[in-house]
Amino acid sequence: MINSARQQRLIDEAKALLKQGKVRWIIGFEAGSLKFTTTPLITADAGDTSRLVINSFIVNNLSNFLPELEGRIGIVAKGCDSRSIVSLIQDSKVRREDVVILAVPCSGLIDLAKVEQLIGKDRDEIDAISRKDDKVIVTLAGAKREFSISEALYDNCLACELPTPQEYDILLGEPILPSNEPAAGQKKLDELKKMSPEARWQFWKKELERCIRCYACRNACPACYCQRCFVEETEPQWLLPIPHWQDNLMFQITMDIHVAGRCTDCGECQRACPVNIPLRSLTKEMYDIVADLFHFKAGMDKEALPLMTHYEQEEAEDLIG
Amino acid sequence: MEQREDWEPKIVGFLCKWCSYAGADLAGTSRRKYPANIGIIKVPCSGRVDPLFILKALRLGFDGVLVSGCHPGECHYLTGNYRARRKFAITKKFLEYLGVDPRRLQGSWVSASEGDKFAHVVTEMTKQLKEIGANRLFADDK
Amino acid sequence: MADKKINKRDIAKLPNEWCREFSVLVPSRESGTVAMTRWDGKDIGFLDWYRNTVVPPRDSFLPLIEEMFSFYKDKDGYNIELPPPKEQKQLIFGIRPCDARALAILDMTFNDGYQDPYYLGRRQNTVLVGIGCTKAYDSCFCTSLGNSPTDTTGVDLMLTDIGEDFLVEAITDAGKELLTTSSLSKATEADQARAKVSEETARQKVTRNIDIRDIAQKLRASFEDQDFWQKVAAKCISCGICTLLCPTCYCFDINDEMSKAQGVRCRSLDSCSFPIYTRMPMENPRTEKWRRVRNKVCHKYEFYPMLFDAIACTGCGRCIRLCPVNWDIIQIIESVPTGA
Repeated sequence: MINSARQQRLIDEAKALLKQGKVRWIIGFEAGSLKFTTTPLITADAGDTSRLVINSFIVNNLSNFLPELEGRIGIVAKGCDSRSIVSLIQDSKVRREDVVILAVPCSGLIDLAKVEQLIGKDRDEIDAISRKDDKVIVTLAGAKREFSISEALYDNCLACELPTPQEYDILLGEPILPSNEPAAGQKKLDELKKMSPEARWQFWKKELERCIRCYACRNACPACYCQRCFVEETEPQWLLPIPHWQDNLMFQITMDIHVAGRCTDCGECQRACPVNIPLRSLTKEMYDIVADLFHFKAGMDKEALPLMTHYEQEEAEDLIG
Repeated sequence: MEQREDWEPKIVGFLCKWCSYAGADLAGTSRRKYPANIGIIKVPCSGRVDPLFILKALRLGFDGVLVSGCHPGECHYLTGNYRARRKFAITKKFLEYLGVDPRRLQGSWVSASEGDKFAHVVTEMTKQLKEIGANRLFADDK
Repeated sequence: MADKKINKRDIAKLPNEWCREFSVLVPSRESGTVAMTRWDGKDIGFLDWYRNTVVPPRDSFLPLIEEMFSFYKDKDGYNIELPPPKEQKQLIFGIRPCDARALAILDMTFNDGYQDPYYLGRRQNTVLVGIGCTKAYDSCFCTSLGNSPTDTTGVDLMLTDIGEDFLVEAITDAGKELLTTSSLSKATEADQARAKVSEETARQKVTRNIDIRDIAQKLRASFEDQDFWQKVAAKCISCGICTLLCPTCYCFDINDEMSKAQGVRCRSLDSCSFPIYTRMPMENPRTEKWRRVRNKVCHKYEFYPMLFDAIACTGCGRCIRLCPVNWDIIQIIESVPTGA
C-alpha cells in the first residue's frame, strides 16, 4: 500500500519533470518480462512514465547509464545507486546540476537465487514473493512460507550502510535506517578468511575457471567507466582475450583495484554474472580494505576527494618496510 | 612440486629513478654485496607503479615484487610516493586476502644515500622468498 | 514401431553402459553453474531439477578455448604441431531439443564452403541423446520457431517422459546402435499414446509466443530506422552474455598464446556486443551500441535466413533469462516496425 502510493508519486514527479522540460530523460524501472524481474526504463517520453515501478526487485544500478546520455536526467536511485552517482560526480563523469535524483529509500532487495535455494525450486514455479517488515513471504502452490530477511535478501543489502540516499532532489517515502544484519552480509567473506591462504587461492582459481569473459561484471558496474579497458590494450597486452583462469583472475583483481574507492557495494557485478561467480566476495573485501586503511567510503561524503587523488601524510606505513 | 636445491628466487624491483635506483647504484659502486636475485626496472617515480605491473610480474612467474621509492616527504614530484603508497597498500592487502603470501610483494623507502639499506632489503627479501619457495600461483598443474 | 522404454529408476544404467564406449556428458551443477559435465557414474539427480543448462552444449563442439595447433621455432624456422586427431567418442545425455536444433543450425555454417575440421571432427564424433522437456522456463519460446519441447531434430536418440518411464526412440542409425542395452523393454501402444499427451502438455507450458511471419523482410525494411534501434538498445550494457551463451552464436577470435619462441594458437569465442569486435585501424563501423544490437538481432532473424534459409534462434531463451537488464528479444522482434 505504501509502496503503491510511493510508486504513484514517482510517476507523477517523473511525468512532471519531463513535461515541464526540467529533464530530457527519465531513468527508472519498469516491470520485466520474466517473473520477479524489473528492467531499466530509459525514456524521453512522458507517456512512458506510467510504467515506472518500485518494488523489491529493482536491482540494477541505474547510475551506470548516466555518462552515456546527453542532457539533464531524472534518475531513480536507491541508497547504493545514489552513492554511485555521488562518486561519478566526484570523478567529474557527471555534473550534479545535470541530474535530478528521485530517491527511493530501500529496505533491501530480494535475492532470487537465495529464494530458489531456500525452496529448492526454480523461480518459474513460485506464485508470489512479497516482503513484510523483516520477513520475506514466498507463495508456492498456494502455500505460504516465511523467511527472515537475512536468508532471502542480497548479501550487499544486508550489509547496506545507506538505505536512504543522502544526496537527492526528491525523496519518495519515509527515510529508512540501516538494517542490523551486517554480519549476515559478511558471512561468505568470513568463511573465506577462515581458509588457509592456499585453499583461498584454489577457491578463486576454481571459481574463475568457469568465467566466460562476457564482461557483464565490468559493464554492469557504474564505477567501471573507462573508455578503453586495460583488457583491450594490445600494446602492451596485459592479458589475452582467451578465457584461461589465470587471466580471468588477473582481470578480476585488476578490476577490483581499479574500482577501489568507487565501489559502493551495490552488488551488481555478482548479480550480472551468468555463471554465479561470487564476485561480491572480492569487491566487498576491497571495500573493507579501503575503509580500514584510509577511512574512505565511496559516495558517502560528496565533499571528499576521490581516493586515489588524495593522501594523508601518515597512513599504511606498516605495510612498507 | 619438488623444489630443486639450487633454486634461486627471481625478484622484479620497480625502483624510483631519483631515490631507490640511485640507492641501488650506490650499493653497487660502494661494492656492497647483495644477492643477484633482483632484476631492476627503473621508473620515474614509485607513483608510476601501476598495480598491473605487480600482477603481471606474478603472472609471468616472478617469485617476488619489490616496489621502492623515496621516503615520505622526499618525493621528487612532492606527492608521488604518497599516491604510490595507497595503490601499493590496497594491492598488497587484497592479494593477501586472495591467498598470496604477503612476503611476495614488498615495499620500501630507500633514498639515494641508502646503499646499505637497499642491499639489506634485497638480502632479506631473497631470504624470505627462499623460505616460501617458488611462485606457482598461476601454474596450471595445481 | 520398435520403440523402447526404460523405468526412471533404472535410468543411470544407460550412461553407465554407454560410458564404456563414449565419454558421456550429463547436465550437472558441479562447476558452479549448470553445464554438460563428465558423467560420474551415479548422479542422476539432474532429472529432478534440470530444465536447461546455462552453458549451451555448443561448448562441446565449439569450446570457449580451442587449441588449434602449437608451434615452436628452432634453427630451421617455425614448426607446427597439430593436436592429436581423434579424441574419445562423446555422448551428450540430456540435451534439450532447442539445443540439438541449434547444432543443426551451426552445421550450416561450419559445414559450408569451408569445412571446419575442429567443429566437424567433434560433431562426427558425438552422439546426442535428447530428453524432451516437461517444464519450461518463462523465457522459453521454442514453439514460436517451429520447434517443440519434444522435437527430435538433430538428436540421435530421444527420451520422452511418460510418467514412470521414459519412452526411448531411435532417430538415427547412431541412435539405434545405442538401443542394444538390455535395460530397455518394449514400449506398448499405450506408452506411445502417453508420449503424445506428454508432448502436448509440454507444449502448453511454453507460454511466450512471437509472430515470426515476414520477420526477415520487416527487419530489412527497418534496417535504417535509427529511432527504433536506439530505443530498443537503450538499456543494453554491451556485455557478452546473450552471445557467448547463445547456442547458435559462433563468432570467434584467434590469438597466439606465446612465450619466447613457442606457443599455442587459440580460438576463443568472441561477441558482436563488444565495441572492439569490429574495430579496425582507421574506424569502427559499430561504435554505437544500437548498431551492435541491430547486428545481433538481424544476424539471427535476417542474415541467417538469407544465407541458409533458417532462423538462427531456437527459442531457448538464454539471452532473456541471463541478461542483467532483462533485454528481451521477444519484445524486440514483436516491435519491429512493419516498414510501411
